[in-house]
Amino acid sequence: MNGQARALIESMPNDIGTQAVAPLSFDEAFTLHHRAVFRTARAVVRDSALAEDVTQEVFLRLYRNLHATPGEDLLRAWLLRVTLNVARNTLRGQNRSMVRDNEYHKTTTENGSVAAEAPAEDYERRMAIEEARRALDKIKEPMRSCLLLKQQGLSYREIATSLSLKETNIGSLVARGRKEFARVYGKIGGRR
Amino acid sequence: MIRCLDEATLQSYFDGELSAQLMERASSHLAACVTCAAAARELAEETALLSSALEAEFEVSVPTQALRERIDAAVLGVRVANAERVENAGFFASLANVFSFNSQRALGYASLVVVLAFAAVMGVVKYRQSQVQPPTVSPEGNVASDQNRPQTPPQVTSNTNQEVASNDNQAAVPERRPVTAQPAKYSPRRATAREIPVKDEAVQLLPGERSYLQQIARLDSTINSNKKAMRPSLQVEYERNLAVVDRYIAATRNAAKSNPSDPDAADFMFAAYQSKVDLLNTIADARLSGGRSH
Repeated sequence: MNGQARALIESMPNDIGTQAVAPLSFDEAFTLHHRAVFRTARAVVRDSALAEDVTQEVFLRLYRNLHATPGEDLLRAWLLRVTLNVARNTLRGQNRSMVRDNEYHKTTTENGSVAAEAPAEDYERRMAIEEARRALDKIKEPMRSCLLLKQQGLSYREIATSLSLKETNIGSLVARGRKEFARVYGKIGGRR
Repeated sequence: MIRCLDEATLQSYFDGELSAQLMERASSHLAACVTCAAAARELAEETALLSSALEAEFEVSVPTQALRERIDAAVLGVRVANAERVENAGFFASLANVFSFNSQRALGYASLVVVLAFAAVMGVVKYRQSQVQPPTVSPEGNVASDQNRPQTPPQVTSNTNQEVASNDNQAAVPERRPVTAQPAKYSPRRATAREIPVKDEAVQLLPGERSYLQQIARLDSTINSNKKAMRPSLQVEYERNLAVVDRYIAATRNAAKSNPSDPDAADFMFAAYQSKVDLLNTIADARLSGGRSH
């Protein structure tokens, strides 16, 4: 665990009211939020295996800090904040390309079985993901993270909590990010 | 009529993040303002584009089962580690206790440090002295060989008698030997460890010892250079005397080492060395003269 993330965890209870809602059990937290954590991690590290590593680390930290984590209403924000930090540190530590990313060659279903996909669809999907990622790369922080979290259905309050921003600034950041994305993505994909 | 909506308010309106009152106001404004309505349409289009673009990214399935298993295993690991930590807590607490600093302990540690520092300084000073002290006895070693002999203890004087006897023997023999006596050559490689047993433990030489050892090594190599030519009886005699002297040297050396401040102990050791030098000198001289007479 790196110092930055630890400092983050230690600072969390001050940022988020822990007493508001009764805390979830660890299992409930996993069931509710592991998808958001995994997807956010994947969007940052761009690799399924690495995203699994990040997800594991995030839930381990949740387990270790269960007594100090916020209530249900802001638990997702807490988890995604930790996720972004761990994912960025992972990226910094690993200079890996997407070699390990087998996710595009097979699609694992929720219960782990592998469903074959048509090669054409597979390719299309890959290109779509690649284009969106390239467009996202052009957007500056914190607008990019705002978009990422907004797309996962987080409220402004949750986004503000996750990114240590003021809630009143989120609307503006989302609007600017969205415009920038449309401009860049339109250029890349020849759309609009 | 309120003024036009800025992009943040419009975004918040579409994201449902405005308060009920603001929501209503924005809604009625949008219905009336063409510019803001156009902006709202653009926003809706761009939002749809964003959603569809990121759809593929977020649609990729999540390996729930695998994650569940990994995380359960990791959590189990943490639990085991915690349990072990609790078990070890007692040991670590006692260990930590040793290093805790109350005032008494601090004083104790401080005095320990002072004592160690003093010992270190003394050690260094002693070591330097032993290195610097000049070899005092070496010059007389070659010349006045008999001077030190009376100082040797009685057990060895008998040996030196033997030695003298052997010298007499030797003096009698040289003509009979087919010696190809060569002039003394210095060949340090042949002065092996067996001939100079002291050399092995000579890592820390006592003061004044070095010159003797050098002398002995030189004589030894001289003698060894034509050892084969030595008459067998003489050879045996020589080696027995040498062994006696070596033993005597070792004994006196130990004594001098354990009583470094005792000048008598050092004198006995030097005397022992001197008797070895004498013995070697005698042998070498006898053989040289034998060689010359041949």
